[in-house]
Amino acid sequence: MATENAEEKSNKVDIEQQLGETVGEQFTDEQKFALRNVDVYYGDNHAIQDISMDIAPNEVVAFIGPSGCGKSTFLRVLNRMNDTIDICRVSGDIRLDGEDIYDKKMDPVLLRARVGMVFQKPNPFPKSIYDNVAYGPKLHGLASSRAELDDIVRTSLKRAGLLKEVENRLDEPGTGLSGGQQQRLCIARTIAVSPEVILMDEPASALDPIATAIIEELIDELRENYTIAIVTHSMQQAARISQRTAYFHLGKLVEMGPTEKIFTNPDHTLTENYITGRFG
Amino acid sequence: MNKNTEVIKGTLAKRYAKERRFRMLGMISVFLGLLFLVVLLLGILFKAAPAFTQHYLSIDMNYDADSLGVGTNPSIKELEGANYRGLIRNTLYAQFPEVTQRNDKRELAALISGSAEYQIRDALLANPALLNNNARVQVLLDDDVDTYLKNNTHSGRVNEQQISWINTLENSGAVERGFNRNLFTNGDSREPESAGLLGATMGSLYALTICLLVSFPIGVMAAIYLEEFAPKNRWVDLIEININNLAAVPSIVFGLLGLAVFLNFFGMPRSAPLVGGLVLALLTLPTIIIASRSAIKSVPPSIREAALGLGASKMQTVFQHVVPLAMPGILTGAIIGSARALGEAAPLLMIGMVAFIVDVPEGFTDASTVLPIQIFLWADSPERAFIAMTSAATIVLLVFLICMNGLAIWLRKRFEKQW
Amino acid sequence: MESKIDISDHISHRYNDELEDLRNQVMEMGGLVERQLQDGLKALQKSDMPLAEKVASADDEVNAKEIAIDKRCTQILVRRQPAASDLRLVLAIIKTINDLERVGDEAEKLGRYAIHLYEHNAKIGDFTEIKHLGKHVREMLSKTLDAFIRMDVQSAIATIQSDDEINEEFDSIMRQLTSKMMEDPSHIKETLRVLWAARALERIGDHAKNICEYVVYLVKGEDVRHTNLVALLEEHPELNDE
Ligand SMILES: Nc1ncnc2c1ncn2[C@@H]1O[C@H](COP(=O)(O)OP(=O)(O)OP(=O)(O)O)[C@@H](O)[C@H]1O
Ligand SMILES: [Mg+2]
Repeated sequence: MATENAEEKSNKVDIEQQLGETVGEQFTDEQKFALRNVDVYYGDNHAIQDISMDIAPNEVVAFIGPSGCGKSTFLRVLNRMNDTIDICRVSGDIRLDGEDIYDKKMDPVLLRARVGMVFQKPNPFPKSIYDNVAYGPKLHGLASSRAELDDIVRTSLKRAGLLKEVENRLDEPGTGLSGGQQQRLCIARTIAVSPEVILMDEPASALDPIATAIIEELIDELRENYTIAIVTHSMQQAARISQRTAYFHLGKLVEMGPTEKIFTNPDHTLTENYITGRFG
Repeated sequence: MNKNTEVIKGTLAKRYAKERRFRMLGMISVFLGLLFLVVLLLGILFKAAPAFTQHYLSIDMNYDADSLGVGTNPSIKELEGANYRGLIRNTLYAQFPEVTQRNDKRELAALISGSAEYQIRDALLANPALLNNNARVQVLLDDDVDTYLKNNTHSGRVNEQQISWINTLENSGAVERGFNRNLFTNGDSREPESAGLLGATMGSLYALTICLLVSFPIGVMAAIYLEEFAPKNRWVDLIEININNLAAVPSIVFGLLGLAVFLNFFGMPRSAPLVGGLVLALLTLPTIIIASRSAIKSVPPSIREAALGLGASKMQTVFQHVVPLAMPGILTGAIIGSARALGEAAPLLMIGMVAFIVDVPEGFTDASTVLPIQIFLWADSPERAFIAMTSAATIVLLVFLICMNGLAIWLRKRFEKQW
Repeated sequence: MESKIDISDHISHRYNDELEDLRNQVMEMGGLVERQLQDGLKALQKSDMPLAEKVASADDEVNAKEIAIDKRCTQILVRRQPAASDLRLVLAIIKTINDLERVGDEAEKLGRYAIHLYEHNAKIGDFTEIKHLGKHVREMLSKTLDAFIRMDVQSAIATIQSDDEINEEFDSIMRQLTSKMMEDPSHIKETLRVLWAARALERIGDHAKNICEYVVYLVKGEDVRHTNLVALLEEHPELNDE
């Protein structure tokens, strides 16, 4: 039926034709991060393909997509963590507050102090809980006295919802904590340096609902002062905490838009298939 | 039970049989290995046992100034140059008044060690008040006599007459068996009864110190650079391959290198622990580099990412996180490497550390030898007593190696952290 | 391609089955309500008392169905946390069964009015307009259910628009009956029943319209309730096939 086909096309973006053209609203009026035509290669593997997007100040952006679609890779573009991988090449225009972060003048050390990261797997240092959190502030000379450092450590732990559990054993090794506690320790460690942007790679994948709720509450609270980009495999979590959601597929940004829209009525068939658990 | 369960059940017996066979084989090989080790160790221990004791002759003696040929109030210098040999011989002759023939007298004097005169001299020098007084002194018996007493067999190296004198002395209670202190307090000597390992041990320690001082920092730095900072290109690959090859080069080649470079080109002293240590450093360097690299490599990348992600520089990441975490592995590598160096003889032969040196070295440039070479030298000596001494030296070397390996294990346990 | 919403291609087969089953239940309920309406109208027109009694009492079945479907929807919400089209499907169903239940209530009223009119020896057959209205409303309901099962936006929009005609028809019936009552005040009681019956039919039309709006929401993701359809049609001109 001719009419129905016509309806079909206008309704949902056709998979084959339109993969590569991002649909939705990937640009914003105000920009913390502005990325244009970003490509990332691992050797010959074209892991991120021509992605453009903005991340607005004080917003939480969720990155979702199937495993291996390049979410972590994209996240690591934002604080140049990919520099540490020899075979990784990044091209495109990536600006933080208007500054090109891949410019020669940009110091990656300073950049990473401004753009903090919580990794996919908890990776506390094999040091005490206290030293784990104090490491960043000490490194950057953020505390002028021991008391001030103590204060930073305690507030960071508290905000990450961990203080109560570890209050009496701050000098025990951080690696002796449970997986979920370790992840919260890593979050505390990251917020201890008060970065402007926080990148989180599946921070709650090992957490129970209560700890998850604490982290989500923290994210909500952090949003007032920070910008947050978070990768998550939990659709509900993305829906709960983010203002905008970006859906990645095979290295491409398929769709990006307000979270309510993505989760009730996405424009792209691939997005729809992914969030409703259908075969792509 | 479904069909598969039945099938699996059928294969179980076979699998277990295979497992048992494999376990048996394993146990047999472990047992054989242990057996060889035990036989070897017991053999050495058994052979070495006699070397740890020695026979002494205790006799009363008068430090008679006349016999010594010194005045009543002699200076230290006079005392040092006095005629102790005459004194000790005369004392011995006095025990056997019936011996008058010169020939017999010589054979009687041969019962005691040539070092006896030095022993009584040292006793007097330590306590000059003994002059013109009586004292009971303990002197070493000759190694042939010692061997005869230990084995109680005729070896042809002591004759009938000497045996009867020995028996007389023994019956009078003058012969005593005691711990062989000389083994640990003396340098090398032509006479087995006064030969000791101190010189070689000190030589080994000096050489090892140099070896570690040179190879540890260089090796660790090289490993850190290659692993963390070096760009990945063909040159670095080439260097890597060469380091691996270097570890497999026969050690004598390093000796040749040392001879050509340190002795001939730089003109360093022969037989010195300094040169030995440098040669050993060349030898251990590849081992340390390889061990350190693998220790650094085994530090999980997530730790690096954590530090870098917080804004640590590459340098801070490496030295504050990676190296401390790799330290147990690095230390183990270094100790295993130096243990190998401690047991190494071949390259040191090339740089003259095989010389016969009596004095205990007092510095890095004093001529000396090392434990494995001492073993080699003694094994080569004709005196029967040296057979036991060789084994004893081997045991000392083994104890050293075990201590170093124990230290390696302890250090690893101590510094090991989980992540 | 039949429709853009296909509930049978989830990775979880059980999810497919659950949604399929849910939809079937809604259809069953729709069928039940449709029959109620048919029977109610028949009882009204033919003064078929046994049928009227049946209609008046069969509403329990519809109510039970509503409760059963509601429970299933809750289960799916809890266990599957549906998103996007699945979420809209479940939401649309929850609302649809609510409207269907109300249609059932109205049909039940028709039965009760039939009994009342019979007892007062009045015949609805005298009112051809009611017959007409009943036919239209029946058609509308069946089209609505059709649009729902096929998720056919076009047909849903057409049906929404057809509600206006029904409202007009009702208005004219009301005018007629008002004048009749003024002419013959002795039969006001019966005439009022007839008016209420017409009113019930008009309400059913409204419910059908609601359901059609849910279909549009389900398929397009846009809420067209209380807003003008014009805007939607302007946005999607292809929908307007008139
Ligand atoms: N260090 C690396 N070296 C080579 N290829 C890599 C590396 N890291 C990632 N890739 C490749 O890049 C692609 C994207 O990987 P990435 O880790 O970004 O996926 P992801 O979306 O984060 O997946 P997940 O949800 O499983 O974490 C994959 O095809 C992967 O094989
Ligand atoms: Mg990832």
